[in-house]
Amino acid sequence: MRDTRSLPARIALYCAVLAGAAIMLFPFLWTVITSITPEGSLADGPTLIVDDPTLGAYRTLLDAMPIWRILVNSLAIAVASTVLQLITGSMAAYGFARLHFPLKNVVFGFYLATLMVPLQVLVVPLFIEMKTFNLQDTYFALLAPTIASAFGVFLLRQAVTAVPLELDEAATIDGAGHLRIFTTIVLPLIRPALATVAVFAFMGSWNSFLWPLVVIRSPEFMTLPLGLSTLQGQFTTQWDVVMAGSVVSIVPIAIVYLLAQRHIIAGVAHTGIK
Amino acid sequence: MRIIKTAVAAAALTALLAACGQGSATKEAAAPDGKTTVRYMNFSANDGHEKDLTAIVNAFQTANPDITVQVETVPYANYFTKLQTAVAGGTAADAFELNYENFVTYAKNGSLAELKEVDAAAYKKSLYDAFTTDGKQYGVPESFSNVVLFYNKDLFKKAGVAEPNADWTWKDEQAAAEKLTNKGAKVWGDYQPVSYNEFYKVLAQTGGEFLNADRTEATFNSPQGVEAAKFLVGKVGKTMPTEADGAGTPDFDSKLFKSGKLAMWHTGIWMFSGMADAPFNWDVAVEPGNTQKASAMFVNGLVVNAASKNAEAAQKWITYLAASDKTTETRLATSWELPPVADEAKLAPYLQQPKPANRKAVFTALEETVLPPVIERQQEMQDIVTQELTSAAAGRKPVEKALADAQTKVNGLLKK
Amino acid sequence: MNGTMDRTEDPTVSRPVESTANRTTTTRRPRNWKTLGWVLFFLLPSAIPLFVFTLVPMVSSLWVSLHKWNLISPMEWVGFRNYTNLLTDETTRRVFLHTLIYVAGYLPIVYAGGLVLALALNQKLKGRAFLRATYFLPVVTSWVVVALVWKWLLNPTNGLVNQLLGAVGLPEPGWWTDPQWALPAVILSSAWKDLGFVMVILLAGLQSIPNDFYEAAKVDGSNAWQRFWRITLPLLSPSTFFVVVISLINGFQVFDQVYVMTAGGPSGSSQVVVGQIYDLTFRYGRAGEASALSWILFALILVITVIQIRGQRRWVHYA
Repeated sequence: MRDTRSLPARIALYCAVLAGAAIMLFPFLWTVITSITPEGSLADGPTLIVDDPTLGAYRTLLDAMPIWRILVNSLAIAVASTVLQLITGSMAAYGFARLHFPLKNVVFGFYLATLMVPLQVLVVPLFIEMKTFNLQDTYFALLAPTIASAFGVFLLRQAVTAVPLELDEAATIDGAGHLRIFTTIVLPLIRPALATVAVFAFMGSWNSFLWPLVVIRSPEFMTLPLGLSTLQGQFTTQWDVVMAGSVVSIVPIAIVYLLAQRHIIAGVAHTGIK
Repeated sequence: MRIIKTAVAAAALTALLAACGQGSATKEAAAPDGKTTVRYMNFSANDGHEKDLTAIVNAFQTANPDITVQVETVPYANYFTKLQTAVAGGTAADAFELNYENFVTYAKNGSLAELKEVDAAAYKKSLYDAFTTDGKQYGVPESFSNVVLFYNKDLFKKAGVAEPNADWTWKDEQAAAEKLTNKGAKVWGDYQPVSYNEFYKVLAQTGGEFLNADRTEATFNSPQGVEAAKFLVGKVGKTMPTEADGAGTPDFDSKLFKSGKLAMWHTGIWMFSGMADAPFNWDVAVEPGNTQKASAMFVNGLVVNAASKNAEAAQKWITYLAASDKTTETRLATSWELPPVADEAKLAPYLQQPKPANRKAVFTALEETVLPPVIERQQEMQDIVTQELTSAAAGRKPVEKALADAQTKVNGLLKK
Repeated sequence: MNGTMDRTEDPTVSRPVESTANRTTTTRRPRNWKTLGWVLFFLLPSAIPLFVFTLVPMVSSLWVSLHKWNLISPMEWVGFRNYTNLLTDETTRRVFLHTLIYVAGYLPIVYAGGLVLALALNQKLKGRAFLRATYFLPVVTSWVVVALVWKWLLNPTNGLVNQLLGAVGLPEPGWWTDPQWALPAVILSSAWKDLGFVMVILLAGLQSIPNDFYEAAKVDGSNAWQRFWRITLPLLSPSTFFVVVISLINGFQVFDQVYVMTAGGPSGSSQVVVGQIYDLTFRYGRAGEASALSWILFALILVITVIQIRGQRRWVHYA
């Protein structure tokens, strides 16, 4: 279907997609422009050409906080949380999609239920719980709520379910057990879904604000959103610095997405499975 | 298998993180060689005064070698979220900062330790008394700031309007604002937010009372209240930009003034440093009154956590931070709000600084001030009043109806 | 390909030929124990953290919901009074109504838009990777920035959107300054921001549709439109199901964008359930009522999700 499109249709499609992309890119461009405009102000609206661009805001950002330490913290937590969610999520997905056990739907229901109570009311009880274990103000506390996510389990379960059962059966005949089927058949075939989950897990941890705010008090554990929030004063805000901070926070996720995208594209479509 | 390798790496990483986590959790329990550590949480040092606070901490530690102060600075916007959770979890700092509006809630709920043997004479009396509840001292004033009328001298000159002085009333302000407003050039005559903080003040300027004497009933829906609200609301769209013009977005007013497109601006003295490099002449005056003068004053206080194990050291620290000469010097030198000290001679350096010329107005305004009316359910009350006034300002409700509705709702809060 | 069997949800309808795959329904005990071991092996790594770090706090919040609590003084038992108060409170009705309007407006736009995008960017286009990343940028940009930009775009007097509307002679709404239009403004900007999210998930779904199906259909002489309806949509249904369920769960908990764009205003006209929960907990010192409100919300989301899971076997096609 993809090769038979007429030339005008392709051009029209291309134009539409490009126009859409411009709209999508606009706020990000604005962010970048504001960050290099001296005393940049978002309220005035963007001017596409900056008279005398400056990296002053980025320098201020460097001075205002131990930005490298903060970036390393955020990165470490986000990577750990992503890897853990991929492991816990894919295993649970396999369990729900391939194993049969009593009350499976109820158990899955409990998983989904964890998504249905807003974080805003969970923060306080969770904080008190952490305090009981004397784990507040630690890296572990930052990581704890994102070791597993029902979102990831659900998305991966949908993907595992789409893997043809015949492949498992063939492997079973060859003497493979669950662990081998999981690692050698299922995991490679759900790579697009894994990559998708990875992007969202990374993003969730990277942007997380309320929980780190509450649980962290030592500056050495500070994460990026916490650091950036200190740029907003009680009475005034230096928008150019805030925007510089936003650029610093957006770029890493964009890179993660670009890396993950290769896997999202290279799916199972080309294999002659069926 | 790559997956397995990643898994192992992840497990190792997690173990490592957990390990350093443990390290830090045990850290605070250890009291190094007889020293007392006082944890202090604050918002007012955020975004600009972190180094000034550190300087005060260092001076205090030199004077008190057996006490270490551990500072935690949280932006104002998130401060109370964090403070409440910490109090709920029993991990709140030994000493922390509270603005006057929130002080009452914390004092009434038994979260604060009573301060004993404080040198009351060191503080301006009205400020000191603000932190007394039921005859007990639960805090000391840390700093204060007030609101004055900023004005752009160049715009006044260009429009041929006489500059504001201490004798101005609302009428003078309104007349000047109308002359100064030039919508074609996007120049506005006046800016005063339509909000709770402005309303209780203009109400006082008209001689009205927000609450009855024993704070059991709201009384702002009075002829004075209506006059005050109409004064505020009447500016919107006429001499003052509307929401649609951008009013209410972050930093809108400061940018507007700094770009020379705003003639008069009701705002706090905390804006002095930000406007120091404005490319035009500006000065300040005491805010005009109606039947009387009343300037808004905002006070931050310092308190000791009722659950603190180091209450004594914590009190030592907060009284130092509030009234020591080191603090007074630092605050004045860095334009970091005003120190609450009784001895006005200590404030002299403040008046010697250049811009704005009429710094005296800051102290003149203090002669007739009004503190925000405070009830236990403060934030709800503020939201209700601001919301109703905004409705009136947008023309969705007559002013009278908005005030009546606000009063009914605030009375509901007082009853529960 | 029309095997619409729903093995996950209903093990009793398994295919008769699944002799080898059907490992569990045997009655011999050792087998069961072994299966149980596998179940634990695969589920515990996620079940334990979810239990400890989410379910336990959830149960605590249920406990909190039966108390009067301002976080800073001890809790006071009030039984179900928080619930009865909330259920008779006019504000509760209003915030739920606003949330429903949000979901009803947001979901169709974001799904339709995301699907079109996913289909377009699944084509062989030059710079496709770059384009996909572009469409994903809003998803990763923080709401603080996005809200400021959209408030500017939707500025009633000189915003770009109203200028365009004015140019073609359409009415120019007051957007976030007008109680009638504040919610639509939030819906519009949310849909814009989340298009990339839906796109990414649907792209992953599209990628797992074997090309052979399309080849076979082409041999049968079907046109592109028919292939879309008969192959793409049905085989995309697991992804669609996921998007709809998750978008509803998240949509009912909409908060960030409202908080930064309108803060629930003007005059509470865009206040949503979680916004109210946040205000009650952290601004008004009414954590008990906030917890109760979140459990009422939980009940609503649960019912809607269960209905969807029950209903999925009518339209979700697992390959």
